[in-house]
Amino acid sequence: MQASRAPGIAFIFKKALISALVALVLFSLMIGVRTEAGPQGLLVYETRFGDLAAMVAAVFGGSIVVELLRQWWGPVGTIRVVPPQVTSTLAVAGRWVAPVLLVFTFLVPVIFYDQRYILDLGILVLTYVMLGWGLNVVVGLAGLLDLGYVAFYAVGAYSYALLATNFGLSFWVCLPLAGILAAFWGVLLGFPVLRLRGDYLAIVTLAFGEIIRLVIINWQSLTGGPNGVSGIPRPTLFGIPLDNSDNGLAALLRIEFSPTHRIVFLFYLILALALLTNWVTIRLRRLPIGRAWEALREDEVACRALGINTTTTKLTAFATGAMFGGFAGAFFATRQGFISPESFTFQESALVLAIVVLGGMGSQLGVALAALAMIGGFELFRGLDQFRMLVFGMAMVLLMIWRPRGLIGHRAPTVFLERNQAISSDLVKEGHG
Amino acid sequence: MTAPAKAPLLAIRSLRAAYGKIEALKGVNLEINAGEIVALIGANGAGKSTLMMTIFGRPRARSGQIEFDGRDITAVPTHEIARLRIAQSPEGRRIFPRMSVAENLQMGADATDCSEADRASGLERIFALFPRLKERMTQRGGTLSGGEQQMLAIGRALMSRPRLLMLDEPSLGLAPLIARQIFDAIRTLNRQDGLTVLIVEQNANHALKLAHRGYVMVNGLITLSGTGSELLQRPEIRAAYLEGGRRH
Repeated sequence: MQASRAPGIAFIFKKALISALVALVLFSLMIGVRTEAGPQGLLVYETRFGDLAAMVAAVFGGSIVVELLRQWWGPVGTIRVVPPQVTSTLAVAGRWVAPVLLVFTFLVPVIFYDQRYILDLGILVLTYVMLGWGLNVVVGLAGLLDLGYVAFYAVGAYSYALLATNFGLSFWVCLPLAGILAAFWGVLLGFPVLRLRGDYLAIVTLAFGEIIRLVIINWQSLTGGPNGVSGIPRPTLFGIPLDNSDNGLAALLRIEFSPTHRIVFLFYLILALALLTNWVTIRLRRLPIGRAWEALREDEVACRALGINTTTTKLTAFATGAMFGGFAGAFFATRQGFISPESFTFQESALVLAIVVLGGMGSQLGVALAALAMIGGFELFRGLDQFRMLVFGMAMVLLMIWRPRGLIGHRAPTVFLERNQAISSDLVKEGHG
Repeated sequence: MTAPAKAPLLAIRSLRAAYGKIEALKGVNLEINAGEIVALIGANGAGKSTLMMTIFGRPRARSGQIEFDGRDITAVPTHEIARLRIAQSPEGRRIFPRMSVAENLQMGADATDCSEADRASGLERIFALFPRLKERMTQRGGTLSGGEQQMLAIGRALMSRPRLLMLDEPSLGLAPLIARQIFDAIRTLNRQDGLTVLIVEQNANHALKLAHRGYVMVNGLITLSGTGSELLQRPEIRAAYLEGGRRH
């Protein structure tokens, strides 16, 4: 079957030869000749024909391999018949991904208790999962492209840092305050951008993120400027500090003190905050307000025609997303113990947005997986040194080619019929189905 | 048809509206009585859709008055107008493509204060009218055919249990048979539930046969009005909207 449409060996060789020739021309100077400063400062050159030959051979071989792969895979657009067993297995696996991942996350501090590095990485990943879920409300559900999400993260972090260092308020009092303040700034951003969509909205939100950062840098008397805020209190377990003191948790439980206790506590704290974000989002999606967010993403004109108040819908989306960003910011401040404007650059906004887009705009599980892949992958490629960004970028490009709608591109419906009742025939008169 | 003694459900008096400097409505007078189907016909750009949208508050009226059930709604915000139970099925259907049929329908009820029971009975009524939608319940709106999407758009508007239903070109881009089904459904709604309907159409023949009364709009003004059959007899209507295309 394949032999009939597959090009012959002669074709493959011809193609490989052409590729090798192009490679020879390209690399003859780049690899074949190398100039260096000689002992007298003069420029001398040496030839590296061996390397050149190896490169050309690699291209020749690679071209054959690619061509064979292409034949094996078939032309683009072929409908591939996946055996039903495979599809059903995948479906079952798909259903179990989220619970298994959740249980595993709960067990991470137990399994990796001795490995501080993994615990820290886990906290970092969970922070981004939470930020991703927060931004998902704005970008994924309401469809409002927000490039300045880091501003709310910063507002939350500085709210906690300043309230705790100046007024001595505890983490648990500051956490809701940080959320409220961030939500307030979310509404404040929301008002001027109510009439904007798409690119224009992106530009204004981007500027907003920068404004907040610049204000933090320049308002030295309040924020300490570029020096940041240090000595931010560590969180307590409802008033019980997690330190080496006499009234610390370790002393109370009569166990030996270990600094890991605090890390484990932070891990479960951010896990709880992230799960709260997830739970609230899932609940809201089933309520009219969440439905209105999604409808707004789909068609703003239709929303107005249905009498949806688009102003409040947009503002609540901004406020809700910002609030979760504020929570995450407060957590960040308490974990680091020190914050400075450097932590809240545009890069962070872009990273969180990338997580939401890669995860598949609106999918909660997708965002979690994307955060794991982005942050975890970043660490995984650490060994690759200078090529880290290159590999990472390539992985993202490939992902977008294979899954243009993100890791989990489909959208789960939120309205279900409780029972599948049949309509009685006396009701079905007109309309002619 | 004799004029009812009661005040009209919707009364529009010398209404003007504009997009920037371009005036789209230049003093429109129109009345809709409760329980009536009123057709608004006219060529492209006559201002039919603008009139419908101005009733809904977008764009706002520059001058004139819109009165619904004795209350002046000219300056009422759009989302408040929906709460007065005026529903609209916008031009080009505009259903939510990535949301399921069920979610699309729920969206229609979200803007009004509908109880769960209202929603359930509303759904039942819509499924009785368009059984096809029931079959498609869990499908995404964007996967429906054009006719089904139009049914969905009307069903969505019906979910708010409107007192006045406004339909903008419900037959746009539909096969004649499907368009007929849609018109039949509108007639059923009117006969069974006494629903008041304002239908904006370019398909004058269909619309005027369906409607009790009709208005003809030209360049932002109402130029003719009368009962549906009266208008269908008028030579200028026949020339302009019914046989115009066939002359050449």
